[in-house]
Amino acid sequence: MICQNCNKNEANMHMKRIVNGRAAEVHLCKDCARSLGYGEAFTGFGFGGLLGELLSKGEQIGSSVRCSFCGKSFEEIAGDGKMGCAECYNIFYDKLLPSLNRIHGKASYSGSRPQKEASVELRIEELKVALKAAVEQQNFELAATLRDRINDILAEGGEQ
Amino acid sequence: MGAKWYLGTGAQNDVVINTSIHIARNIRSFPFPSRLSLPEKLKVNSVIRDASEAIDDYSFNYAEMKMLSQSEVVSLAERHLVSPEFASSRDGRALLLTEDEAVSVMLNEEDHIRLQVMYAGFALDEAFKTASSIEEQLSRKLDFAFDDKLGYLTQDPVALGTGMKASVVLHLPALVSTSQITKLIATVSKLGLSLRGSYGEGAAAKGDMFRLSNTITLGISELAAIENLKSIALQIAAQERAAREEIFKTPVIEDRIYRAYGVLKYARMIDTNEFMELISLVRLGAVKGLIKMDCASIEALMIHMQPATISLSVDRPLDRVERDKLRAAMVRQNLG
Ligand SMILES: [Zn+2]
Ligand SMILES: [Zn+2]
Repeated sequence: MICQNCNKNEANMHMKRIVNGRAAEVHLCKDCARSLGYGEAFTGFGFGGLLGELLSKGEQIGSSVRCSFCGKSFEEIAGDGKMGCAECYNIFYDKLLPSLNRIHGKASYSGSRPQKEASVELRIEELKVALKAAVEQQNFELAATLRDRINDILAEGGEQ
Repeated sequence: MGAKWYLGTGAQNDVVINTSIHIARNIRSFPFPSRLSLPEKLKVNSVIRDASEAIDDYSFNYAEMKMLSQSEVVSLAERHLVSPEFASSRDGRALLLTEDEAVSVMLNEEDHIRLQVMYAGFALDEAFKTASSIEEQLSRKLDFAFDDKLGYLTQDPVALGTGMKASVVLHLPALVSTSQITKLIATVSKLGLSLRGSYGEGAAAKGDMFRLSNTITLGISELAAIENLKSIALQIAAQERAAREEIFKTPVIEDRIYRAYGVLKYARMIDTNEFMELISLVRLGAVKGLIKMDCASIEALMIHMQPATISLSVDRPLDRVERDKLRAAMVRQNLG
């Protein structure tokens, strides 16, 4: 597919826009997407192209490790540019770091923090909701992970 | 329809149309939206909906996007209450919206929670205060995905950190007509901000409306990001005012403004592009006191004249010709 802006390069970024009363997809090459201001967070346009490209340039992919919480592999993350869950950041941190540095610089976080660590009850309550959803859908792998987490938290709580 | 945020008249409204704060959050115990099945998404929606009911001072209407028609959803996007991405697929998505439409929360867009606060005029401090109060109250009920080094975790690593984007929409007709805008867009990007068309892109921005936003979410606090945005926005507004002084030195601009007003007042058919171009001139004329029209009703008109919002106002799909006729009629009516 050819870029709709320059009509020259291959379009590798596909973004949703509202055009004449319809949600339409716009196809742009990487350069046009940047010059039109698409290289930013929160556009809600999906960053698959950008992150995928960053990742595949430097990082070694090709490993079969999967996230223990959501089951996504690093290869899949590099493919669609989307992290699967919070735990993915933990598991794939080293592989992700070069890309994070390229996107954000070597900065470390200095913004606001959650008021207090979420209470044990709250965390367990949410995990139970997630567990129920996983069981209803027969996603037993996720259900097992969630159950382990609940048990871990309960065990920690018990020790204190 | 009750009073909406855009019907108010805000500070600096000769240049600043509105201010918005977006905050992205995810619940730790659920995978991010792209890894959720439909039933899981519905579960996430209900968990967040429950948490929202405990928020003081704000009450939300809740809507599953599946229950709305395609035009209704696109109209929400035209009114900037949801993103185009959100409007493009309705499955498993829901919206929390206050009556005045100043606060909206998209559920299961790119993240579980995309909170938006939008006020008329230049109101960064007020909008941030509202957004953080709501975020803080939600955080008491929900365990947000957070990491000490990376901050709030998002599905797209580009947004992680504060997960906050602050924006002001600026009306910059004089900077466009004096061709200063392209250079400005380049300068601003070096300062950790972006400037892009609010309706349409780049120099082809419709209605000369531009959105100025922070792009840095890691290594800078929310307050610092807002102060940075505030000072650049004020500088751009000052530059725009100076450019207006300059273009009003010739009679050409006054002629263009009155011609634009004449066309809007008498046209029998008008498409979105022409409407946006002319209404931009009329707004400039109104600010200069040439045309008796208040800015709030011009902003409301811009929003109501977008294609899906027009179709929605007659409750049936319209073809192009019908829509352009209806738009001209509605504009005539609004111009009195
Ligand atoms: Zn191109
Ligand atoms: Zn994961």
